[in-house]
This record gives sequence, C-alpha cells and structure tokens, in this order.
Amino acid sequence: MIRPARLALAQAGNPSRDPVVTVEDLEVSFADVKAIGGVTLTVGRGEFVSLLGPSGCGKSTLLKAIAGLVQPTAGRIRKADMCRRIGFMFQKPLLLPWRTALDNVLLPVEIEMGGSVVDASDRQRAIRMLEMVQLADFAGAYPHQLSGGMQQRVALARSLMADPDLLLLDEPFGALDEMTRDALNEELLRLWQSKATRLHSIVMVTHSISEAITLSDRVLVFSPRPAHLVEDVEVRISRPRAPEDPDSAAVIKRVRALVRGRP
Amino acid sequence: MTRWLPVPVLFGLAVLAGWQLAVTAADVPEYLLPAPSVIAASFDRSLGYQLAITFAEALAGFAIASAGAFACAIVFVRFKTIEDGLFPVAIALKTTPIVAIAPLLVIWLGTGWSSKIAAAVLISFFPVLVNATRGLKAADAEYRELFQTLGSSRAQEFRKLRIPYCLPYLFSALKISSSLAVVGAIVGEFVGATQGLGYLIIVSSSHLETPTVFAAIAAAAAAGITMFYIIGSIERAVVFWQSESVE
Repeated sequence: MIRPARLALAQAGNPSRDPVVTVEDLEVSFADVKAIGGVTLTVGRGEFVSLLGPSGCGKSTLLKAIAGLVQPTAGRIRKADMCRRIGFMFQKPLLLPWRTALDNVLLPVEIEMGGSVVDASDRQRAIRMLEMVQLADFAGAYPHQLSGGMQQRVALARSLMADPDLLLLDEPFGALDEMTRDALNEELLRLWQSKATRLHSIVMVTHSISEAITLSDRVLVFSPRPAHLVEDVEVRISRPRAPEDPDSAAVIKRVRALVRGRP
Repeated sequence: MTRWLPVPVLFGLAVLAGWQLAVTAADVPEYLLPAPSVIAASFDRSLGYQLAITFAEALAGFAIASAGAFACAIVFVRFKTIEDGLFPVAIALKTTPIVAIAPLLVIWLGTGWSSKIAAAVLISFFPVLVNATRGLKAADAEYRELFQTLGSSRAQEFRKLRIPYCLPYLFSALKISSSLAVVGAIVGEFVGATQGLGYLIIVSSSHLETPTVFAAIAAAAAAGITMFYIIGSIERAVVFWQSESVE
C-alpha cells in the first residue's frame, strides 16, 4: 500500500507547540446528561498528554469526540492537516477471536484497501509491528491462546499498523495487573519516542495519577461530570521517570490535591 | 468424545434388552408392542428408500430455510423498519402449528415432494431467523467503534465483524432447525403423499403393521440425529474459537 512521505518528526520529549488537535468550548450531552461542559484544550505535535479525572467524568467521551466517534453538542474540534490518521485503543483488546494475532494486526490494512487482498509487504510490516510489541513468536496464535497483557499488546500493534500520527488511548492497560501495566506503559513510551513509526502524539485517558505523571508531558486534570478542565499541569521531569523520585513525587502530590478538589 | 460416547450407547442397549425381555416374558401381541428383534427384522430396502426420500426433502427444506433466514436476518439488521414490520409476521408464522398449515400446502403444491419441502422450510426457518438476527447484533458496540475508527464501510463491518461474530449463534440454530426439518417433511407426508417415512407410518398403522411403524419412527429419529451431528461437527470446525455454544 502507498504511504504518504514521512513527515519530519518533532523530537520526543521536546514537544513543539504546533497544535495537532484543538478543542474549543466542546460540549457533549447524551439525552439529559451533560458529559462534557465546555472544554478547551490543545495537543501539541510530539506531545504525550494524559487526561486525568474521576471515573465517569466524561474524559473517555472527550477522547471519543476527538476520534469522531461522538458528535459534539456544541463547540468544535479541529485537527491539523499533518494529523492524517488517528489511532484509537480501547480498554479491552477487542481482537477478533477467529483471527490469528497476525491477521488481527492486518485488519486496519484490509479495511483501508477495501476488497483487495493484503500482500507480502503488508504481512512483513505486520510482523514488524508484532516484533515491536515483542510478540513476533505469537503471530500464528489465536486470541484465546494469549494472556490479557499479550492480547492488549496485539491491539497496540494493530493500532500502530494503521500508521497513526496521533494515538488516542482510553485506559488502555487499565484492566491489567500492575506489573503488566508498567511493562506496557514502558513499551508505549518507547514506541512514542522511536522513529520506526509515524506516531508522534499521544492522548491517553487514565485514572492513575502516578501513571499519568510517569508518562506524560502534560497532565490535564478534569472535574467530575460534566467535565471541565481544572488544570493543565506541565511535567518537566527528564525521562525515564519513576513515581518514587522526589521530583515526580512532588508533582503527584500536587495533582492528587487537584483531583480531590483541594489545591 | 470417546470417553462419554460409550455410556449412552451402553444405556441404550440396556433399555433395548429390557424391552426385548419384557415383551417376550409378558407375551405382548406384536400389533401392540413388537419386540426390538421383530422391529429390526422389518428394516429392509424399501424402508431405506422411504428414509432417503424423507431425508432428501428435509435436507432441501433445511437448506432453503437456512439460506433464506440468514439473508432475511441480514436485511432485518440492516433495515430496522423492515424488521419492525416483518418480525411480528414471522412470530405469527412460528406460532401457527405446522400440522394446521400442512393440508393447505398440499392443496397448493400437490402431493409431491414440493409440499414436504415447503413444510420443512416453514418449520426450520424461524429458529435460524431469530438467532441470526440476534447474532448479527451481538458484537459489542466497542467492536463497532473500533471498525469506525479504522474507517470501515458498513459492508466491511458485516463481512469482517458481524457475520463471523454471528456464526456461533447461527450454528446453534442450525442444529435445532436441522432436526425440525425432518419433522416438517414427515408432517407434510402425513397429510398427503405417496412415499416417504410419514406415508409409511400412516399406511402401516392403518394396517396394524406395528413393527414397520416402529422401524419408520426409528429411521426418522436417526435422520434427525444424523442431521444434528453433521451440523455439530461442521460447527466445531468452523467456530473453533468458541468452546461453548451460545443459546
């Protein structure tokens, strides 16, 4: 399949402020329930942004609105021209159980190509994606033969196969145990920093404060429903970070106070 | 499978042996309850022929009903208005006993094979329609959102998501429908036919040829069970990812 020419990437960890996504006065309501009440934010090119807030506050809805899965009731969402493809990763792996890991990874290509058949180069690329998430040995395995963490890694490889510029993650590893989650977060960070993919910007919904601070350049803290942006916290700590480091611990403490509504 | 198969087989053999002994000991007249050995003796080539007729009618009816019901389910899921309009009709059709409709089918289609196939279609259509409709809607909303984020067309969503997702539902209906189709064909033959197991049962019972009636019943049961197991083994090969069947 034909790929657009690779764009020059902003250095990860040194985000330029060219906005990739701009959200202006976004409101989303479902029937009588207002999920999002006037949110304005931007995601810069090369940034890793976390959306943090109490569960059910509407941050997943915000992410779905950016992905175009939910229509805004008011306000608007603009995407930069350079943001051609958006990948979305759900909390559940959502693998097709009748397909092998490899064929699951190939799904985005099949859909994009319509009726035509995937060729050898697509397969090779899919295998490379599986290598990136360290699952090349399991290309022929079916989802029910894989652990939850492995399934979610296949899902990550599938998201990358669509060659997104921007990856939206909705509590991607939330259903996994802590050790698996840490390992996958590290992998995600590595993929974001690597130049092997076009991926340059990430927006992740989470309700783990330490996860948000360990990973992101900016943490956007939201109020309970309807979601309002409470504070935009820039995390200026060099990577790799650990939640126990004094710098990180200080930011975690500050953000925890914000989430509780007692700054 | 090899572990549990012998138990029902042994149990069945024990029942037959008990039956044989009881009938012989009590000296029950043959026209009331023939011994299994007498029934076995009345299996002949002609019975095999009648069985083949009924089986063919049932199979044809089952094939038409399954294909038609699945196509219908796709239309239902794709066009909600059609579903709302036709689903009550389908339920009405299901609720009407096939025995009540069968004479009408013979009036319309004659005493040949077509009225039997029609009866088999009518009886096996509904379970497939209901389950396939349910199965095509069964994929989580999140799966559909995933397809949406990948830019999938509606046709791709059907082909790559909804139809495979529906297969476990479809097969559990096919298993039910396949044995129902045999019932439909036999009911059709009861009403007006010149051949088939249903015809054989009616004719033999009016002549008090009870062993033949029993042999025909056994053959009909065998036909239904064979259909069920054929579909079951296809299911295990096709729906390999699902260890338990959905109801």
